[in-house]
Amino acid sequence: MNVVGPLKPHLHFIPFQVAPASCNRFISEKEEASASSSRSSSQGGGRRRLPKGSSDGSSTDGTSSREDIRTLRIKKVEDMRTGGYEPYGYTWERTDTAQELQSKYVDLASATEANEEKDHVSVAGRIMARRVFGKLAFLTLRDDSGPIQLYCEKARIKDAAFDQLKTSLDVGDFVGAKGTIKRTEKGELSVLVEELAILTKSLLPLPDKWHGLTDIEKRYRQRYVDMIMNPDVAEVFRSRARITSEIRRHMDNLGFLEIETPVLQGEAGGADARPFVTHHNALDRNLYLRIATELHLKRMVVGGFERVYEIGRIFRNEGISTRHNPEFTSIELYQAYADYRDMMNLVEDLVTRCSLAVNGSLCLQYQETEISLERPWRRASMHSLVAEVTGIDFATFGSDIVAAKAATLEYFKGQIERHDTAAIHKSPSIGHLLNEVFEMVVEKTLIQPTFVMDYPVEISPLAKPHRSQAGLVERFELFVYGREMANAFSELTDPIEQRARFEAQVQVHNATMQAAAEMAKLKGDTAVVTAAKDAYEVGMDEDFITALEYGMPPTAGMGIGIDRLVMLLTNSPSIRDVIAFPVLKSQ
Amino acid sequence: MALLCFTIQITHYLHKKHPPSPPPTRAIPSSSSLAAMPGGPAMDDANADHVVDRAASPLDSGEPLSKNALKKLEKMKKQAEVKEEARRKAEAEASARKPSAKVQAEHEEQEIDPTQYTRNRLQVLAEVKAKGINPYPHKFHTTMRLPEFVKTYSKLDAAQRLEDKIVSVAGRILSIRSSSTSLHFYDLHGDGVKIQVFAELRCSGLNETEYGKLHAGIKRGDIVGIEGFPGKSKTGELSIFPSSIEVLSYCLHMLPKGQASAANAAGKSQAWRPGVPRNLDRYILKDQETRYRQRYLDLMINPEVREVFSTRAQIIRYVRRFLDERGFLEVETPMMNMIPGGASARPFVTHHNELNMDLYMRIAPELFLKKLVVGGLDRVYEIGKQFRNEGLDLTHNPEFTMCEFYWAYADYNDLMKVTEELVSGMVKEITGGYKILCHSNGRDQPPIEIDFTPPFRRIPMIEGLEETSNGQIKLPNDLESEETNKYLQDACERFDVKCPPPHTTSRLLDKLVGHFVEETCVNPAFIMHHPKIMSPLAKWHRSIPGITERFELFVNKHEVCNAYTELNDPVIQRERFADQVKDKEKGNDEAMQIDETFCTALEYGLPPTAGWGMGIDRLTMMLTDSQNIKEVLLFPAMKPNEDIVVTSAKPLVTAG
Repeated sequence: MNVVGPLKPHLHFIPFQVAPASCNRFISEKEEASASSSRSSSQGGGRRRLPKGSSDGSSTDGTSSREDIRTLRIKKVEDMRTGGYEPYGYTWERTDTAQELQSKYVDLASATEANEEKDHVSVAGRIMARRVFGKLAFLTLRDDSGPIQLYCEKARIKDAAFDQLKTSLDVGDFVGAKGTIKRTEKGELSVLVEELAILTKSLLPLPDKWHGLTDIEKRYRQRYVDMIMNPDVAEVFRSRARITSEIRRHMDNLGFLEIETPVLQGEAGGADARPFVTHHNALDRNLYLRIATELHLKRMVVGGFERVYEIGRIFRNEGISTRHNPEFTSIELYQAYADYRDMMNLVEDLVTRCSLAVNGSLCLQYQETEISLERPWRRASMHSLVAEVTGIDFATFGSDIVAAKAATLEYFKGQIERHDTAAIHKSPSIGHLLNEVFEMVVEKTLIQPTFVMDYPVEISPLAKPHRSQAGLVERFELFVYGREMANAFSELTDPIEQRARFEAQVQVHNATMQAAAEMAKLKGDTAVVTAAKDAYEVGMDEDFITALEYGMPPTAGMGIGIDRLVMLLTNSPSIRDVIAFPVLKSQ
Repeated sequence: MALLCFTIQITHYLHKKHPPSPPPTRAIPSSSSLAAMPGGPAMDDANADHVVDRAASPLDSGEPLSKNALKKLEKMKKQAEVKEEARRKAEAEASARKPSAKVQAEHEEQEIDPTQYTRNRLQVLAEVKAKGINPYPHKFHTTMRLPEFVKTYSKLDAAQRLEDKIVSVAGRILSIRSSSTSLHFYDLHGDGVKIQVFAELRCSGLNETEYGKLHAGIKRGDIVGIEGFPGKSKTGELSIFPSSIEVLSYCLHMLPKGQASAANAAGKSQAWRPGVPRNLDRYILKDQETRYRQRYLDLMINPEVREVFSTRAQIIRYVRRFLDERGFLEVETPMMNMIPGGASARPFVTHHNELNMDLYMRIAPELFLKKLVVGGLDRVYEIGKQFRNEGLDLTHNPEFTMCEFYWAYADYNDLMKVTEELVSGMVKEITGGYKILCHSNGRDQPPIEIDFTPPFRRIPMIEGLEETSNGQIKLPNDLESEETNKYLQDACERFDVKCPPPHTTSRLLDKLVGHFVEETCVNPAFIMHHPKIMSPLAKWHRSIPGITERFELFVNKHEVCNAYTELNDPVIQRERFADQVKDKEKGNDEAMQIDETFCTALEYGLPPTAGWGMGIDRLTMMLTDSQNIKEVLLFPAMKPNEDIVVTSAKPLVTAG
């Protein structure tokens, strides 16, 4: 993040400033919710939670330590092998998933069997519960689609599989089962097992559900355990896949071509963010991980691809939070002969389609707040939004930054921290100041989808000047729930102006860096020293300017943060809930 | 020339008109926005210019004018009378400033040196801007894209003109032919197709002088928006007959010259398609360095290149659809890892500042995808970039694209069937048949045929090696023994097969197989049953000792797929990792590290699973007859080259 000073990141995906306290609150709420939902679900027949030291027949796991259990189970593996049985099977032919059976036999009455030719089924999955009573055992098997019961009678099971079940099978193992269908007296749909095989022997016990869910770190570090214990987690990733798939389908239908641009670059451009640096050994050269796909995609528009997009990973060397992961996924798209208004229609279309695909509705419940995605969404200029909240019309100041600052400070008098006052003082231009005020007071009020339009040119180095308003550019950001979801502009196509904008950006950046360095020297404040040391250079992408010199058609471009969109549409409070393996502090 | 262009730009710039829609704000600036522009009045001049032309011959064009357009004309005419004087004055001033410009204008483009050419065009641009006119319009409304234009009107008869059908299209001018002062032909390229622009004074709504100026100002490479009607020339060339032309973006550089035989985009039959050889020698822009470093230029000038990348997109789309249809879920796993795993390769290292932690760029997504199968996602896949810190050559780029999928309850036999289905199905869909041609033996040799008809040949590795060496290699039974290692070292020496140290059994065997077996795999073939020592993540074979249930698909002697029944016994996985660590200690810095978190995941139980990976770049190379991986990457990694002359000379274009 912008430790170097007042220069705000002004391109895609402005990081949110969220107090750590509120992050924690979100997480704990989620924990609460998850815990209670799993409690209630455990009363349903399928996902039965075994109390410690329960009727788990082998009960070897009951009270032992994790390490003891592991040793015991390794012993079981050896015993099985000695007995000529391979506990890590090679394959299993399955006919149906649990869910398929549940719907196929939804009308099967209790206490009845279905055992015609077509009722011979084969399933496979993980054993989530196990109850053994002499010559009868009930297993709960869960696969990708859901749970189903295995009804095991010693008399009906082939070979010595029932004995193996008693001696070797533990909760957590994968099994394959073949048999016919029966609904028990209690109404539980079951496979009446004739053939049972342990396919994978698990060595570690699954965590006690309640305990497992309170350990938030562990949920992210061992995502697979999280997914085993809480099927809703997998559902988020299914929704995520549906969302990207929906976006892809729509873009393809509109004639956009998906392309891949490089992650490793000689110059990290297209946004204002600290890049990751790496080193290529053979070339003996430092490379940067891309912070945006913008400049390369625009080169392709120059090359004649009139509609292109890329869905891909972006990397920013910044702190982690509930809204930030160092790598995240964005879609950037560029359409020749279009402008930013066309992009507003496109993003409305995309987001509503995704919402319908995932939730079947345009009305969302996000963290206790109702959000309506019904079109059209509100469109308002940044100036008017700021004026609406503060009563200050920044347009009246012209270029009189002193007056603007005075008015701003007057408005905030006594309301804000010294840190924020400093940010106001440091703003190098009216545009920066306007944006500062916007971020401080307006952003958080934009709960329902809102297009914030017409940004100051100073903070938008890649956007085209507004066709009718001086000092502004044709740019919008889409806000939902106070968060930036998309960023788009009529692209700047004039190479000469582009160069000037880049130079201005570099200048502001260098000034900031220098100020930070001087401050560090002066005060010796460690935080500032670190900030100065970490300040990063902003380079100029000469080749991009050359590309523009070959002529880029009038073009509109847009970036959408996929992770944040998935958060919104799956009601996930943290970005870590929608990224399978988020970056975490090393243990 | 600068002078000529100076006035002309103004003219044609404002020539945008869409009779049914309200006039664009830019054409008739409101007084407020005019005031905001330093050169505001010049805009009116330009309007005046425009109006004079229109008023002089509004009916010449034969174009029906709507009520609004007529009103607009009336209004502009009034303004014109006032402003015409001012325009002449401005023109005279400009002419006085640049006395030599006229002389320059008479030069043909090719006689000017590229630097001078750019300078001239910059001059034009500067003058347009000085007039307060934005030379880069915000939007040009097209009613159809060029492919649609071609599709809709290609059936017209020669000399047929649909004069009452008004369309607007846009694209890049790549060829200019003027037949007389009142007749100009352009090739307009867009979205991979080309149409002719048939510009006549008669239809232009301009007088002779203005028409002449407008067309003298359009240069090769400019992006233009055109409104007009469709038709065909007498010779049957599909054309648009413009009523207006507007330059939307200037090409400031001279484009490489030449007539491409492949550029016959209109003659579709000649256009290149996947599976057919390409002839790079016929490209207009041939220089490899320029083509790869300035891909946009390559795409602009060499029309086939676009098709190469759309073939690449088709391949990825096919794979995605294939897996989606079979119930696989697309997921994303991290590209930055604490431990690089899933393959044997040297990783890139980077550093996270705030966490003060080194991270590795992934070399394969394998271990994370298997963790998701442990988590209960029975069928997952990921298509994405992998990174390997290795040198650049014809088949290696530091970042490349791979698809991996993992399929619970399946094994390598299932994978071979699915691979055949996927690869042959893809080739059939994209190229129209199972057989493709490519220059595998070099561009100077005739292309060879590769036949993707399933089923593919299956070659057990060790038997294959013994067979292809005509029995001259006969491996000892225990592949992990010192004896075998010694035997392989001797064999390499005997057959002059180079193997840089360390001489691990795995590496020696790999080189020999490359020398003998892979060389026979032109048509797709599975080399299978790799020894355990070569495959630390694959499951031991269920009945043959010492080997694994693994295969690699080779096509055109290159590895395209790598797949196996996944090793899911955590105890044995740890042993295999330990062997890798021993290899590493022997100096093989590409050997794998122990990934404890992965072993722990296996301890929670990975069901029997089959896993598969395919290199998208290599497959694309085959279907596009590319012998160099850089041909199929939009922005391949290049050696830094300070000497490279980018066509823009830096000092020429400066800000301000």
